[in-house]
Amino acid sequence: QEVDMQQQAENIRTVFNDPTNFNVKHPLYSPWTLWFDSPATKGRNLPQTPMSSFPQTPLLQTPGAAAAQGWMEDIKRVISFDSVEEFWGLYNNIVPPSQLPQKANYYLFKEGIIPAWEDEANKNGGKWSIQLPKDKNRNNVDRMWLYTMLAAIGETFDPLLSNPDAETPSQSLITGVIVSTRPQFYRLSIWTRIAPTGAGGDDDKLRERIESVGRHFKMNVLGYSDSQKLSGPLATEVEFQSHKDSEKKGKQSGRKIVV
Amino acid sequence: SLAKSQTIPQPLPSALATARIIEDLGSVSYPDGIQSPKVELNVNAKQGKFRYDRDFLLQFMAICKEKPDSLPPLDAIGLEPADQSFPM
Repeated sequence: QEVDMQQQAENIRTVFNDPTNFNVKHPLYSPWTLWFDSPATKGRNLPQTPMSSFPQTPLLQTPGAAAAQGWMEDIKRVISFDSVEEFWGLYNNIVPPSQLPQKANYYLFKEGIIPAWEDEANKNGGKWSIQLPKDKNRNNVDRMWLYTMLAAIGETFDPLLSNPDAETPSQSLITGVIVSTRPQFYRLSIWTRIAPTGAGGDDDKLRERIESVGRHFKMNVLGYSDSQKLSGPLATEVEFQSHKDSEKKGKQSGRKIVV
Repeated sequence: SLAKSQTIPQPLPSALATARIIEDLGSVSYPDGIQSPKVELNVNAKQGKFRYDRDFLLQFMAICKEKPDSLPPLDAIGLEPADQSFPM
């Protein structure tokens, strides 16, 4: 028996045992897709390339998602992956946010969820986001984006996911994460599947769960302290807003949770 | 075509393409100096549904450098570094 187990252990070679001839890889909790857009991907600015040379945007199945199709034509699917090893192969061969052109976005979403409000998985959700002045954060944004992606693919944003008291593990709250570059600032966002509505009761529990995601983002991912005030010129606090509230105009859109 | 594939040697499939998925994290023993994923993240883990802490994941950064086969040429999707010689 002991020999068998030893034999088995010797047959398992991770990248740490053998970087070129490993025979096992670490599966992610969910498969992910990276999307990208910038002025260069829109309309005619895109260089003519054979259609087979890059993955196609998947067909949109739901009416809501179809409404987002016009916009989705301008965003490019870069790659899908489902293991830790593939993630790093991608990370080590792609452009970091600090070197992206202005007005570019990376969207890292769970496979099958398009990075639009209209997707079924997003329409009842919301987002945590922070805006950071570009000049002060050029040297921070790459690390912040990496840590945001690692918390997403490692599924550590949502503490309830591994609640040992829960009879059945709950579904992950997170649908995707985004980094945006603008002339004056960067923005990082975490999209959630659902959002509190202020109804009380079970909604209060959801609000607590959403807030714990925000605190994890602020402290463990971005590296700020709990009480640190972040807003200032071109900068916001770490704040949450439901997509439905974001769509409202003017003062009505003001309902936000801040950590 | 067949003729073409005979003249151009096919690259060996990468380890990434042939490696199998780990089904039981407990069956993996890492070399000295490599830290395992935090156990408390995977108390109720179902097969292949694992969560990983950042310190564990960061250990792969310096090792997994090979460009994935499925990554398209970045210029084909308009994904190119901005000119860094001018401050923006």
